Amino acid sequence: MNNSKLYAVGLAAVMAFGAPITALAQDLVMSIGSRGYGGMVERNIESFQAANPGATVEWNKVSDVPGDSRKLYVTGLMARSSTPDVFAIDVIWAGEFAQRGWLEPLNGLIADDQIAAYNPSFLSAATVDDKVYAAPLYLDGTHLFYRTDLLEKYGLEVPKTWEDVIMASKTVMEGENNPQLYGFVSMWAKIEGLFMNWLSFTGGNGASFFDADGNVAVNSPEAIAATQTMVDILYKHKIAPDSILTMRPNDARTLFQQGRSVFLMVQDFVHAPLSAADSPVAGKFDFTRNPYFAGNKDAHSTALGGWLLAVNANSENKEAAAKLVAHFTSFENQLSAALDENRAPGRTDVYKAPEMETASLIRDFGANFAVGVVRPSAKTGSLYPRVSEAMQIEITNALNQKKTVEKALNDAAAAVKQILGQ
Amino acid sequence: MTQILTLEKRTALTGIGFVTPTVLIIALILIYPIIQSIVLSFGQSSIDGFEPYRFVGLDHYSKLMGDSRFWNALGVTFTFTALSIPLELMFGIGLALLMNETFKFKGWARLAVLFPWALPTALNTLIWRWMYNSDYGLFNAVALQSGLVERPINFLGDDVLAMVAMVVVAVWKTSSFMALIILAGLQSIPRDLFEAGRIDGMNRWTEFTQITLPLLKGPILVALIIRSMDALRTFELPFNLTDGGPAAATESLSLYAYKVIFDFLDFNFGAAIVVVQFLVIFTMSLVYVFALRNKD
Repeated sequence: MNNSKLYAVGLAAVMAFGAPITALAQDLVMSIGSRGYGGMVERNIESFQAANPGATVEWNKVSDVPGDSRKLYVTGLMARSSTPDVFAIDVIWAGEFAQRGWLEPLNGLIADDQIAAYNPSFLSAATVDDKVYAAPLYLDGTHLFYRTDLLEKYGLEVPKTWEDVIMASKTVMEGENNPQLYGFVSMWAKIEGLFMNWLSFTGGNGASFFDADGNVAVNSPEAIAATQTMVDILYKHKIAPDSILTMRPNDARTLFQQGRSVFLMVQDFVHAPLSAADSPVAGKFDFTRNPYFAGNKDAHSTALGGWLLAVNANSENKEAAAKLVAHFTSFENQLSAALDENRAPGRTDVYKAPEMETASLIRDFGANFAVGVVRPSAKTGSLYPRVSEAMQIEITNALNQKKTVEKALNDAAAAVKQILGQ
Repeated sequence: MTQILTLEKRTALTGIGFVTPTVLIIALILIYPIIQSIVLSFGQSSIDGFEPYRFVGLDHYSKLMGDSRFWNALGVTFTFTALSIPLELMFGIGLALLMNETFKFKGWARLAVLFPWALPTALNTLIWRWMYNSDYGLFNAVALQSGLVERPINFLGDDVLAMVAMVVVAVWKTSSFMALIILAGLQSIPRDLFEAGRIDGMNRWTEFTQITLPLLKGPILVALIIRSMDALRTFELPFNLTDGGPAAATESLSLYAYKVIFDFLDFNFGAAIVVVQFLVIFTMSLVYVFALRNKD
């Protein structure tokens, strides 16, 4: 073995054993997906390191598929690992993770006026016992995408209600007379997205998951009527393909992108692939807020999703970690994310910034978020995954006509009550 | 005499020496988790120590008895096993007989037969999921273009069709495994038995039922045990093909346990499901083993 080889081996050994020893108070590990927040992660880390000499941030790139990164986090958190110090969590996990004692409360670590600027409905999803456990990073939500060319061709207005959507779909489908063309596609496979869909439909009819007294209200007359419309879209109006029952967001997006559907209801991430240069529908589509039911103009029908940043309760650098969270969610950085990466800010004051005048896409997304409905994850906490799954099963039973809508939602109410111990 | 005894002893010692490391490893990675699962299933705790272990006796089991989703998963698992194993056996014997004949490109044919089995289940299943797809899948394209159907068939969105779809993939994939084991058995049957049979005036069919099948009993039972155990704990297939859907129509016991443990993080209740599944497979193995012992 020559000298240079020896040197290399020695260096490798020093690096391998030295890493934990040199982990000083200012070394942070941050876990976030590589695509979700675009190029902003790298930029924010660089500016953070520049502003805090001596601090280093290691970016641990995790999967952008929520289910996968969740499993990774949960394994580490249950073993009380001290890393990552900062990690991005889906809005629906915030309540659960906080209840399990895995997150450090941010009150006191982040300035109160900054916390006050965060989107309130997102903050409520991350608040347990009046303590804030995570800071909103960016929002996404479901929108109704539509084909501008087809609506124009048949002289149709942009639909506002479900009645409009059904009518417009039928008109276009009859006019085009193309068996490959459908009216409406969305993500109705038995996934979280189905539950989001259902919240959009029922919310658009004035229903809510819990009633004013906090009781489970999933089988209210308004919810039953809205769910019946979902069933009718499939079997009575026949504007959706049978395959909608196995579609995930990208399956629905693919069909719409191939020009095979007039309407599409999914999250805003599809905007980028749909408007890409090689997309057959580029320049031929636009989006509007999710429809409501006639007479419910003010109903909230945009199912909100999004990501927050949290600090690991077992982190050895909680203060520095919170500082990093504050940096990512500062006014300037949130504004840059909105302008450069089309990421909807997690704080409300950014929407009022003069620079936002030109960011029409984000403003339109934001307008739809104003009629947002969050999933009942804060109130159900660690039981949320079970509640969501119970709902998905019964909604699927109704959509497959294995049960009447009323029976399915009564069973869903019973199941949720049992899970929550009500 | 003493010479022989020490030799015996020495042989035994050598044997023990060879077996000990294996036994230790098995105890460590097999028996410990089984005991741990049983302990977990009788208690209430959180895996991170947030909630200390508390003995709750049969609570989880009594909850399990009243859990309709558990009974559904058990039913799905049995249905899947009962449908796929006989079909696999049938195709397995057929393939083995075919591969036992001499013909041109026999080596290639054997390779082709083994191919589905050699590929990872998850990969196979994803390919099949695409073929079943109702909008851009192969089967619907053929069915639509040939005018067999007017509206695409939603294979994975229908209770019965989804189960059939799952069985088809299982049979396609694992018949070749059955065939492999049976082929090994076939090749060990002495040729002169068939010659003797022919002299006694046997035709091909009586040859098969009177000579081949009885002598294949051993390999067939081995193949049955291994495949039934696989089928009773099937996971990748429903996980990748249907995710247990529609609703819970193809949710196997393993998939249900996985969801309870990794999605709901309820390790104790999940452990109870796993223990019941263990008992089911254990009982089935005993039945096979006794069947094997009594007949031979």
